[in-house]
Amino acid sequence: LECILHSFLFLLVFGRALHAIARISDEFWFDPIEKGLALRSVNSSRSAYAYVFFSSMFFQHYCWTAVSQPCQKEKQLSLPCKLIIKSVLPVFRCVNVLERNVEKCSIYTNINDHHITFQLLCKHGVVKTYNLTFQECDPLQAVFAKHMCPNILKVHSRLLADIMIHFPSSQEEVTLSVTPVKVCFKSYTEEDTDFSKTMLTEIQLNPDEFDYFQVGVDSEVTFCLKELRGLLAFSEATSVPVSIHFDVSGKPIAFSIEDTVLEASFILATLSDIEKETASQQPPCFSQRQERPQGNRNAPNTESAKPASPLAKQEIKSVPRVTKKDLTGMEGTAMTEAEHRAMLEEEATESQIISPQTLCHMQFLTSINIAFLQFHSLFFGAVSCKEKDATSHTFHSLATASDTEEDFGNMQSSQV
Amino acid sequence: MRFRAKIVDLACLNHFSRVINTIAKLAKTCTLRLTVSKLYFILSDKVANGGVSMWCELCQGNFFDEFQMEGVAAEHNEIYLELVPENLSRALKTAQSAKAVKIKLTNKHCPCLRVAVELPSLSSSSRIVTHDIPVGVIPRRLWNDFREPRVPDFDVSIYLPVLKTMKSVVERMKNLSNSIVIEANLSGEMNLKIETDLVSVATHFKDLGNPPWASEDGCQSSDQGRDLESMAEARIDIKKLQQLLAGQQVNPTKALCNIVSKRVVHFILLHEDVSLQYFIPALA
Repeated sequence: LECILHSFLFLLVFGRALHAIARISDEFWFDPIEKGLALRSVNSSRSAYAYVFFSSMFFQHYCWTAVSQPCQKEKQLSLPCKLIIKSVLPVFRCVNVLERNVEKCSIYTNINDHHITFQLLCKHGVVKTYNLTFQECDPLQAVFAKHMCPNILKVHSRLLADIMIHFPSSQEEVTLSVTPVKVCFKSYTEEDTDFSKTMLTEIQLNPDEFDYFQVGVDSEVTFCLKELRGLLAFSEATSVPVSIHFDVSGKPIAFSIEDTVLEASFILATLSDIEKETASQQPPCFSQRQERPQGNRNAPNTESAKPASPLAKQEIKSVPRVTKKDLTGMEGTAMTEAEHRAMLEEEATESQIISPQTLCHMQFLTSINIAFLQFHSLFFGAVSCKEKDATSHTFHSLATASDTEEDFGNMQSSQV
Repeated sequence: MRFRAKIVDLACLNHFSRVINTIAKLAKTCTLRLTVSKLYFILSDKVANGGVSMWCELCQGNFFDEFQMEGVAAEHNEIYLELVPENLSRALKTAQSAKAVKIKLTNKHCPCLRVAVELPSLSSSSRIVTHDIPVGVIPRRLWNDFREPRVPDFDVSIYLPVLKTMKSVVERMKNLSNSIVIEANLSGEMNLKIETDLVSVATHFKDLGNPPWASEDGCQSSDQGRDLESMAEARIDIKKLQQLLAGQQVNPTKALCNIVSKRVVHFILLHEDVSLQYFIPALA
């Protein structure tokens, strides 16, 4: 299946999306599908999940083809893959400079080589090519029923940035406290905080400042600010308002933005009130297949939690033990105090991604051979005056960048 | 013990923030002394500071629209607090467009300076940002540790060159050496020198001028009879000098230094409403 659409790309937006995801984890899922490109990431303690989707209209040119192997019965197959963020970030390092110097950026992949190529065509004939290896894996889907949240705030990203700027950049956790008449963001404190050494900041706002303000239940939720900062920068670049969906403490909080060509959701676990939880926790389970090692493609995955039916709403409860200092191994001490519970339910709003066929094939992926996807997308870095030349540019770059002759021919015929 | 103060004027707020930023660059922790008319930021010369000491004095009337203070006792109407100036600097950093800033001494969980910034907002009521900065109350018996340092019996007193120039010279020298020699004479000449195994660099300044100091008995100068060309020098830690110069956010009205040969260099930076004295001891 192919689709070709022309639109403008804002390299800045794409770069900022990557930087935002980089705050969550060192690696991310690169998941091209028919409708667009999805990027997903989850942190090591499973307490933060990021999802950014660029619809095909976001790109100046977007072509996605699925090429199945003879033994496949499925026609539409998407193959998500995992990339190391650190490898991709240098491509989009100085996004501001990028927009001035880069005339075109194309991303294409050849599954056979296990490479994804980012190619920047810059001014003065400079071409930068980045070939990145990826790991095949199954996608992670954290789904979250936003519409079931009693508390919804909608605010322009500028306001949110203006609020967060008052917290020091080292501030890890922030508490959002709402009642129907008051909103307050404050530094997180716990019972054994050493007040004589910590500077505490609190920002009080009037509900009037929000574009939309709905508080169904008074609540105080604490989440990790560091993970959010990336989304703030990203949403500022897009100028799309940010929606905040949340419930009581312990339930996840979602920060999302949505417009015609892109959408993004950052779902963060929140601290739950200390309850008398037993040390033995349920093992986390997600609607995710285990990551398969590259050489072991044919082995069925027995550990996965497959949904009973692709479209059924599944409630998967996971109780991971989470500390913000996971990596430094402080889990032992933080066991009862910082227990995060992330409730993952299937996300209704992700319906455009979770198409029936996609889900079907995800189930099968574990037991059948890999489907090979040929994915080809071009997008335009500099905007405005180049638009008229887009067509000729496209063909030109297709000629040099295309992997196969077939693609080239197909694209030409469906040019508008 | 009570303290409340308020700044409403933006220019005063910016000026105050700049002073705090300078202090924050010079000391990680320092003492804030409050009296009815003045504020002092004091760093006493403990070994932990590398022997450096600082005395910064502000007239509260030049900054605050409201200032009320009640000291520990009637006859000792002062408050001494230990704080991290960086915290105060951070609290004021995002107050650049504030309608008002209020500072208050409180004691909720522990003694704090509460800085409440009232910011304009699109809605009817303002946005209020509150920062609680923990402070330590210094008991009266320790107040003697924080007395104003005397001007040392210096050998040479000289005006400093343009601080920006001096800063860039010292910054480059910092990459080459850990210590720097400051020498100056009564003819308005100053040299900054570094010397390592590989390289020696010297920068010469002239026509700087020497400030007139009246000595106690009214005679011309305390170093009367000193050879005008003879240099007084001291070798000091270059990082400390660089910190002092880099921290200056506003050009002082007067900048000078007093050199006690091989003992200490005493810097005095005067602005309209702030005076800063900084002592850097000579290295052995």
